[in-house]
Amino acid sequence: MSISPNIIILIPIYNEKKVIKDVILGIQDEGYTRIIVVDDGSTDGSFEVLQHLPVIALRHKINRGKGAALRTGLEAAKILSADFVITMDGDGQHDPLDIKNFVSAFSKQNIDVVLGVRNIEKDMMPPTRKIANWIADKLTFILYGIHIHDSQSGFRGYSAHAIQKIRTKTDAYSYESEVLREIHKHRLSYTEIPIHVRYTPYSKSKKHKQNIVNGIKTLYTMIWNILT
Amino acid sequence: MEHSYLIMPVFHLYQLIVSGIAVLMIVQGAIKYFTRGESQSFLKFFVRLFIWGGMAIVALFPQITNTLASFVGLEGNINAVILTAFLLVFLMIFKILSVVERIEQNISTLTRNDALSNLPPKK
Repeated sequence: MSISPNIIILIPIYNEKKVIKDVILGIQDEGYTRIIVVDDGSTDGSFEVLQHLPVIALRHKINRGKGAALRTGLEAAKILSADFVITMDGDGQHDPLDIKNFVSAFSKQNIDVVLGVRNIEKDMMPPTRKIANWIADKLTFILYGIHIHDSQSGFRGYSAHAIQKIRTKTDAYSYESEVLREIHKHRLSYTEIPIHVRYTPYSKSKKHKQNIVNGIKTLYTMIWNILT
Repeated sequence: MEHSYLIMPVFHLYQLIVSGIAVLMIVQGAIKYFTRGESQSFLKFFVRLFIWGGMAIVALFPQITNTLASFVGLEGNINAVILTAFLLVFLMIFKILSVVERIEQNISTLTRNDALSNLPPKK
């Protein structure tokens, strides 16, 4: 008899009161009930919504950035002895139907990290984000020595081994790139799988997403992390 | 017999100060790297060596900037005062940003520990 793995879905959020309930219910409909949501100091009452949902709700008292929220969630997952952790964005752009593909990738191969790759053409990604992502992909290769097809995707899966190894210090969006550096540094095995992204008017309106300005900030952080 | 140039400095004071600071930064980086300090890598150590080593070389052998100036197509040498001022400002910014970064990380750690203290006990 095989023991089903302890799979935890991790969602960092910041001011997602309008959509977070639907996001969580969508994940639960796919049969995943262990969900950690880290509220990164929201000011719109997101945390109050979480408290009425069947999730493990953690709260940063002040906003520290997506990277910091993900680290908090991964620490919690370690404490809860997760076998696999799958990270998703909290604005509903990631499709819960894809989770099974992450689980399948972990089950079939001895993989440490599964990276979701957005289909940039098909998913109707806004042009500014396409440019920012292209630049980020190239810079990630130049600075961190790892070439993947979507360095900024937040839909990723980590094994327990990967969580133990990955050590990041970035609090902001450059977290995604820093994880790739850690994969390269610790020689973690990884695979890329296609994911579907739903760009809704709501997700496009979010100010904290990757754009050119944040791309420059990410570049600055990546260089700074090398220098210091 | 002429005695006026008997005591002739090999290097100027600014050259010694800049190179001293550079050596200090390189040694600090080397200690961090070889004692396997947190988040240290060869690339990081190499970049530090390149930047601070470059500053020391330019400070000790300023004539090298003539070669550099002609190579990049500029006319004239770099003024020693401007160079020194630039290096000092760079040093200060570098240190200030390091301190800010460290404080930011400490705040994040405190925030994280507070959040995790509310984690329900493992079933």
